[in-house]
Amino acid sequence: MSEKNREGKRSARERMLEERAADEARAKRNKKLGVGGVVAAVAAVAVVAGVVVQNQRSKPETPAAAPLGAIGDKKLMIPSGAANAPSVLTVYEDPRCPACGAFERSFAPTIDRLEDQGKLYVNYHIVSFIDRSLGGKGSKNGANALACAQDAGHFRDLHDVFYRNQPAETSDSFANKATLIKLSKQVNGLDTPAFESCVNDNKYGGWVSAVQQDFDKSSYKSTPTVLLNGTPVYPKNGDEPITAENLVKWVDAANQGKPLGTTGSGNESPAPTTTASEPNTPPSP
Amino acid sequence: MASQMAESPAGTEPVLRRAVDGPVGQWVGLAVRLALAAVWGWAGLAKIADPAEAAQAVRAYEILPESLVKPVGYGLPFLEVALALLLVIGLGVRAVAVVSAVLLLTFIGGISSAWARGISIDCGCFGGGGAVDVSKTEYLQEILRDCGFLLLAAWLLLRPRTRLSADAWLTA
Repeated sequence: MSEKNREGKRSARERMLEERAADEARAKRNKKLGVGGVVAAVAAVAVVAGVVVQNQRSKPETPAAAPLGAIGDKKLMIPSGAANAPSVLTVYEDPRCPACGAFERSFAPTIDRLEDQGKLYVNYHIVSFIDRSLGGKGSKNGANALACAQDAGHFRDLHDVFYRNQPAETSDSFANKATLIKLSKQVNGLDTPAFESCVNDNKYGGWVSAVQQDFDKSSYKSTPTVLLNGTPVYPKNGDEPITAENLVKWVDAANQGKPLGTTGSGNESPAPTTTASEPNTPPSP
Repeated sequence: MASQMAESPAGTEPVLRRAVDGPVGQWVGLAVRLALAAVWGWAGLAKIADPAEAAQAVRAYEILPESLVKPVGYGLPFLEVALALLLVIGLGVRAVAVVSAVLLLTFIGGISSAWARGISIDCGCFGGGGAVDVSKTEYLQEILRDCGFLLLAAWLLLRPRTRLSADAWLTA
């Protein structure tokens, strides 16, 4: 009897110990699961919060405001030359891109002349991706200033001045709005209070972002990207390299038998309107 | 080194073992934890400023459909920052290590794929990203760097117990 009793006692104690161990193991497992759940929840909340927050912060692909006379369904291109010219040159350029600077210094006189002859209608996409790879704001501020110049009817002039005075890619001097305004003084009649506040207030920042997002979604990966009537011609058109003579030759060949565009009516210069709203300026103290 | 260990299993091995498992190992674990936290924190914060840039970095891999480009570009940096915060406080270290390793393997896979397909992009690992000139691709460096980070994650996966962690405080 005593033997049986002792056995019963021991098994009771053993059972108790076993149960306690099982409880502890369960508690430990639950704690681990709880921590894992917290990690999963934190990760999920972070992702959702990121998508929501960044969606709100990102600038729309269709800009709320575009410079006067911008063309395209989202008004992302700045036109230069006669709209009814028989050939269209589409140019994607970043104000900070050295290859664009080299392209402009070689070809701007030729392109401007072809425009003035009514042979060529140029559509500029002023993109701003160098700021991403090198950091800085020169592409964006430069693009905004060009949009401001378009408002004032002086896009082409400022565009040419900027590329003639382009800083080295790594020295981001276009980020400095005072530098941009100083350069704008080289264009007669451009440097007005309206222009300066447009530059200083980054009036077309949203438009600049939309132009870049449109470039992001395009199949083009570098600047300058230059298309003559939709065909890439930079650095080569087929086997022929782009030169001033070749560009004129290609345009003339494409234009053969077609009437030239109407020029001389200040086609790229929308009249500055007095109703153009000025951004709010903070009250002076 | 290997032969030495084989000769005196009672000598070198316990020293090594103590370094990894003992109190010293937990301090090393703390350093590894904070190092990985710094990596995720830096990577995440660098990608938050410009959402369009983050989206383009994802798009440039030409792997995901356009409908997923923005969710990934917008959400990933916040996930990275969340991992950094969890690592700093040391909560759920093993789980965070698993997520870290999965992410890093995904990144290595993405970069390798871009390299194999001959497209030239910046990985966009710490901001930036998008298409670059062929001469400016750094696929090998990027992959080796991620492999280094993968070692940190592997350490924490195998030795999640570290000093000054919320995990240790919870189990105490």
